[in-house]
Amino acid sequence: MFDKALKAFEIPTIDGVREVNQVSFKLGDFNITLNLTTLIMTWITMAILILLAYLGTRRLERFPSRGQSFVELIIDAFDRLIADTMGPVGRRYFSLITTLFFFILISNWLSIIPILKNPTADLNTTLGLGIMVFIIAQGSGVISKGVGGYLKGFFEPLFIAPFAFFINIAGEVGKTLSHSFRLFGNIFGGGLIMLIIFAIPELLQTAWCRLFGEFIGRSLYWGFLWPFCKILATVILNAFFCIFVGSLQAFVFTILAMAYITIARD
Amino acid sequence: MEITGAELIKAAALLGAGLCMGIGAIGPAVGEGYAAGRALEGIARQPELAGLLTRTMLLGQAVSETTGIYSLVIALLLIFAV
Repeated sequence: MFDKALKAFEIPTIDGVREVNQVSFKLGDFNITLNLTTLIMTWITMAILILLAYLGTRRLERFPSRGQSFVELIIDAFDRLIADTMGPVGRRYFSLITTLFFFILISNWLSIIPILKNPTADLNTTLGLGIMVFIIAQGSGVISKGVGGYLKGFFEPLFIAPFAFFINIAGEVGKTLSHSFRLFGNIFGGGLIMLIIFAIPELLQTAWCRLFGEFIGRSLYWGFLWPFCKILATVILNAFFCIFVGSLQAFVFTILAMAYITIARD
Repeated sequence: MEITGAELIKAAALLGAGLCMGIGAIGPAVGEGYAAGRALEGIARQPELAGLLTRTMLLGQAVSETTGIYSLVIALLLIFAV
């Protein structure tokens, strides 16, 4: 168990893509399998979030300090965004939406640190988040329209009611699936592309050593490939795939969650 | 050297993954390029709305990228699961 937990902190390589670091145990009749890497990384993400929230909100004052005004700026921006997208009822979902955004954001940024991995690069996490948004949207649909109105919504348009029912069900399932697959595919695909590009210099080194001899191949590797391809590529690819795509996907996920809840409500 | 059935299936899956990713990338590429071009037209006409237009464009592009992500998921399934 402990060495498996340590294994979660290994630096990922292209050969280890197929391996899943999992533990399974029996709970009654159910055989439960957990992805240990995702589990540990999710706990780290939550710890970072709680730490940031604590640091941002301790010593609240009427005339805010630098840290407090930064936090207030973020919260205010989110308040306005949610009011624009969801209307006056959006306040009720404020904490959900903001937590969702920051959880996904920190998860997507986590792999900047080489030994950590994204929890969102695992379909279990994103599908869990997608199903959570689905249940909340359907639940608020029931609350705002009543059970009858909610069920009636599935048979619209009414003149092809039996046909429309299946189309609406498929639409709801497809919405949830695309919602979670989008996040998973972007983050996992970005990580995979980075792993493949980072593996290229070693492949070229072996090829050049065979072509031009050991000395020239090695000096070309250390003189040219290592500084330019490895260091520069690490910075640029992490900036694009982690920070840019990560922020964008976190934003898209939250905006779509808001849209789904709004659609389900009216 | 005989080619066994399992090897044939693996080869077909890898070929299919490549085709899936290549053909599946056409649609999102065209769609995202169209969205970016139209947003650029909008910004050229009303530069003061640049922030809103850029945000909406990125959102729409990320949504239209979903089809490409589907083909990525299918390609990953073909590579790792077959």
